[in-house]
Amino acid sequence: MSPKKRSFWRKIAYLAVIAVLLGLLSWLGRPSTTGTDRHQGSPGGVLAQLREKEQLSQTGLGQIDPAGETIKLATLGLRGIAANILWEKANRYKMKKDWTNLSATLEQITRLQPNFISVWRFQAWNLAYNVSAEFDDFRERYRWVIRGIDFLKGGIKYNQREPRLLWDVGWFISQKIGRSDERKQFRRLFKADDDFHGDRPVALRDNWLVGKEWFQKAEELVDSLGVTMKGMSPLIFRSDAPMCQMNYAEALETDGTFGEVARGAWIGAAKEWDRYGSSDIPTSYGLNIRLSEQERFEKIAKELVEKLEALQPGLREKILKDKRAELTDAQREALAIPLEDRTQQQHKLAAEATEALQITNELIARRITGPKRKEALKLAKEATEAQQHATVIRRYRQVVNYTYWSDRAKIEQENDTLAARKLIYQGDQALAEADLTAARDFYDRGLATWRKVLDRFPVLIEDNTFGSDMIEVIGRYHQILDQLDDPFPENFILQDVIDKHGKRG
Amino acid sequence: MVLEHAETLPLEVWFPLALLKWLLVLGGVAIAGLMVGWLSVAMRRGPVAGIRIVGRLLAATVGDILHISPRRVWALSWLAVRESIRRRVVVVFAVFIVILLFAGWFLDPGSTHPARLYLSFVLTATSYLVLLLALFLSSVSLPADIKSKTLHTVVTKPVRPSEIVLGRICGFTAIGTLLLVTMAAISYVFVVRGLSHTHELTDDDLHAVQHHAQGQPAVREGLTSRVHRHRHLATIEPSGRGRIAMEQNHWHDLEIEKSDGKTTYKLSRPRGMLVARVPVYGTLRFKDRDGKDSKKGVNVGDEWTYRSYIEGGTLATAVWTFDGITKKRFPESLFPKGLPVEMTIEVFRTYKGDTDDPENIPGIPGSLSVRNPATGEMVEAVIFTAREFTTDVVYIPRRLQTPDGNVLDLFDDLVSDGKMEIWLRCVQPAQYFGAAQADVYLRARDASFTLNFIKGYFGIWLQMVLIIGIGVLFSTFLSGPVAIIATSGALVGGVFSGFMMRLARGEVIGGGPVEAFIRILLQQNLVSDMEPGMRTTVAQMLDVVLGYGLYVAASILPAFGEFSFADHVAYGFDISGAVILKNTCRAAAYLVPLFVAAYLFLKTREVAK
Repeated sequence: MSPKKRSFWRKIAYLAVIAVLLGLLSWLGRPSTTGTDRHQGSPGGVLAQLREKEQLSQTGLGQIDPAGETIKLATLGLRGIAANILWEKANRYKMKKDWTNLSATLEQITRLQPNFISVWRFQAWNLAYNVSAEFDDFRERYRWVIRGIDFLKGGIKYNQREPRLLWDVGWFISQKIGRSDERKQFRRLFKADDDFHGDRPVALRDNWLVGKEWFQKAEELVDSLGVTMKGMSPLIFRSDAPMCQMNYAEALETDGTFGEVARGAWIGAAKEWDRYGSSDIPTSYGLNIRLSEQERFEKIAKELVEKLEALQPGLREKILKDKRAELTDAQREALAIPLEDRTQQQHKLAAEATEALQITNELIARRITGPKRKEALKLAKEATEAQQHATVIRRYRQVVNYTYWSDRAKIEQENDTLAARKLIYQGDQALAEADLTAARDFYDRGLATWRKVLDRFPVLIEDNTFGSDMIEVIGRYHQILDQLDDPFPENFILQDVIDKHGKRG
Repeated sequence: MVLEHAETLPLEVWFPLALLKWLLVLGGVAIAGLMVGWLSVAMRRGPVAGIRIVGRLLAATVGDILHISPRRVWALSWLAVRESIRRRVVVVFAVFIVILLFAGWFLDPGSTHPARLYLSFVLTATSYLVLLLALFLSSVSLPADIKSKTLHTVVTKPVRPSEIVLGRICGFTAIGTLLLVTMAAISYVFVVRGLSHTHELTDDDLHAVQHHAQGQPAVREGLTSRVHRHRHLATIEPSGRGRIAMEQNHWHDLEIEKSDGKTTYKLSRPRGMLVARVPVYGTLRFKDRDGKDSKKGVNVGDEWTYRSYIEGGTLATAVWTFDGITKKRFPESLFPKGLPVEMTIEVFRTYKGDTDDPENIPGIPGSLSVRNPATGEMVEAVIFTAREFTTDVVYIPRRLQTPDGNVLDLFDDLVSDGKMEIWLRCVQPAQYFGAAQADVYLRARDASFTLNFIKGYFGIWLQMVLIIGIGVLFSTFLSGPVAIIATSGALVGGVFSGFMMRLARGEVIGGGPVEAFIRILLQQNLVSDMEPGMRTTVAQMLDVVLGYGLYVAASILPAFGEFSFADHVAYGFDISGAVILKNTCRAAAYLVPLFVAAYLFLKTREVAK
């Protein structure tokens, strides 16, 4: 074959290989089509079907951004490298505190990789928390917080199946605006921010209420998609929205709004907390719980234990007596010594003795013989399960301080509580205006009203959060009396609160 | 944000040093080249013949260069221009227009410094496109002519190889210049139109904020309409005068008209956005907390070590020494308030301030004192509150009062031979001020922004000419695609020459090229030590060898970044004549040897004989 001919056939072979490869690529990458009245839609090639199955198609994830798609195409498959270079640049700009170029670069990254959630989260956090803190002026700080929130909202458009971003918006709006040192100013600016709120009525522009809406959106998305929130316990995730309502009610009173408005907010908070308590929460123990059901399970467990013990009355006492007999003399002596007087060795012995005296339901059931044994074992198992369920709920309740908030939301609706808070607020106002006599008067009346509340709801005194708040109030009262050269009363009306929480404060 | 590398070496000092360095390097390269040439001839024809042939070539080179005919160069340049047009250079122009059309998708007019963004964008886009065009045009032209034998027709005419090389360089430069001028004009319109906006303000937007007395008119404030994602705070004084607050690095003039009992407010186009400040930079030194001279200030642990910090409430000081401060330069008619000092001071706080009242955080106070370096006389001139991330302006009064009541004249008593010192101190204990040399300067005047914009494009032009020179050089002895790769390599290497130098010196975290490659393959992080062993030892040895190559390459290649004035234009600083002149000299210093080398390569090729 002549060289010319050989070259010709070589080219033909190349073309054939290219055609085959292109055909294969086209078959694999065929896009899906939607059906019409006349034509049936096609599920597309293997890649399109896989994308659909794994929910990775762009339309499935969120909006398609023409600018982003253009850039993606323009990088000719080097998107990853381009994003990497931009990320490097963004970090450099952040290091040099060049916020203009930082924002511009972040914008470019999100256009290249709009479904990379970490970029949205990391950079929104960067803007709202790190960059904003670099400024002295609170207005400037607020503006960067809003920039961070807007950035997240931009991410939501392209990632409509991502509850984390919705939750983040809720967190930024509620916590960053409502918990900063500048919260008073931030909340005021937030209420006045027409550009952010659009046509939302002013009364609903509270950051806690708006934050709550976003938390609720995140919950709705999780429920509708049937997915879990990655990296976050459902217990905490579902508590955020109702806690926002609590914080809203609290913030109203801090801002000086009392009466029916505050009561309404607390009623709403109590309702939402109850709803939270009745929602199913998966646990790491492998069972689903409802926070409101602790008392129900305790009751069930108690009834079952009573039934179990009724099968052979006096058995528990007998077992206890036997176990006591098995204790060593040293253990018995250690147990007899009051807790506070025990030495280290005695503590150890007493703990061993207590352990040895434990009587489980199973132990009782196993000691029952005869025809009742089967029923006893069944009752013991059920009772133990109910006890465990109640224990898990109790542990989970402690994480979110469930009982405290549940009680608080109810107590705060009471006339006396509202009146007590208002009087203390008025006292603080008078103190700020240096009207000490009026301040003392308001405080005296306020503290007396608190006494009435605590007499009705003694559970409050036990709570550390309430206790530390109250100690602060008492501290201010002390300050007023000092300035008036009046002694602090010996029989102080809230002495029990001081006794309980004063040392910690 | 600031320009990090303020040019401070005066031209008259720089030029002789640079010229000497250039002559030494050039001499070294020329001698090395002659030695190589002589060796290659000597090996074939013997040492004496080698000297004779090399001498003849040298004489012919000098003759060829001296007898260049402008007419023939013109004809060859015109040929290059026509060839470029045939190669559809206009496509680049079309791409540029398309980029501008879609730029609105990516440029955020709501940015804190929109002008910076727009200017950086147009200058970067233009330079990428023009440099790529220059690269392709210059690299493929000669090889294509040689391949198509067009050059054979040319060399049959009485032209010298030097004229062919020069004709190419001039022709491509001409076409590139034409394109660049058009792009600059369009970019200018794009930036000015893109940033231009105004806001609306009505009586309904304004509300009273401060009552003077019962029945007296009050100061009124309000926000303008939202345009380009921002609003301005408008303040109307009882006298009827109004002002618009600075926002996104600009403000608007406010014109208030009253007719038929109705007040209308007219806001001008943005002001202060497109500027070209002419700075007078000083040299910076530090004093430590006890007032003793120190090389640097305190390191507060900032990752970016550009700025050095001085401790508040101590004798720690940042001292700038300025030269050329005269009454003539700062006449009272133009500077009635005094000497304008612009500062970009960074604050490092060890505590946040009074968080109980964030509304009135007082900021961190600082002081500026003026000192006569000759007499040592010093007066505190200004007490200010540091504002971060903005360029703050304070004025040093022309007449200053000392604590004992004496009045000193700024120019007569505190300036000696045009020299003056400005001492910066942080007043508040336990807080720190951070500063670098370019952070404090005197704003001598404002130059024309349009002219500065043109100067910015001149920087791109210089880069383009350099690329053309390199491209033509490679095209004289390499085939088209290889010449493109070689020129691209020179361009990329030039852009990253600073990084290459750091890599060669072993200053880059993660090791040299081989070590970095191994880390990528093994997905190792940059900071942890490599596992000791044979592999690591070999890799590090190879890196040392490669380091030498990188060092030579980084030293020879033109640092393209230094020819770019984009930052000056974007950050609103005038590009001084000295900077322009220095960079023109630098470019010429590259172009001369490039031209001679290109000539020699072409001359020694068969086709040109």
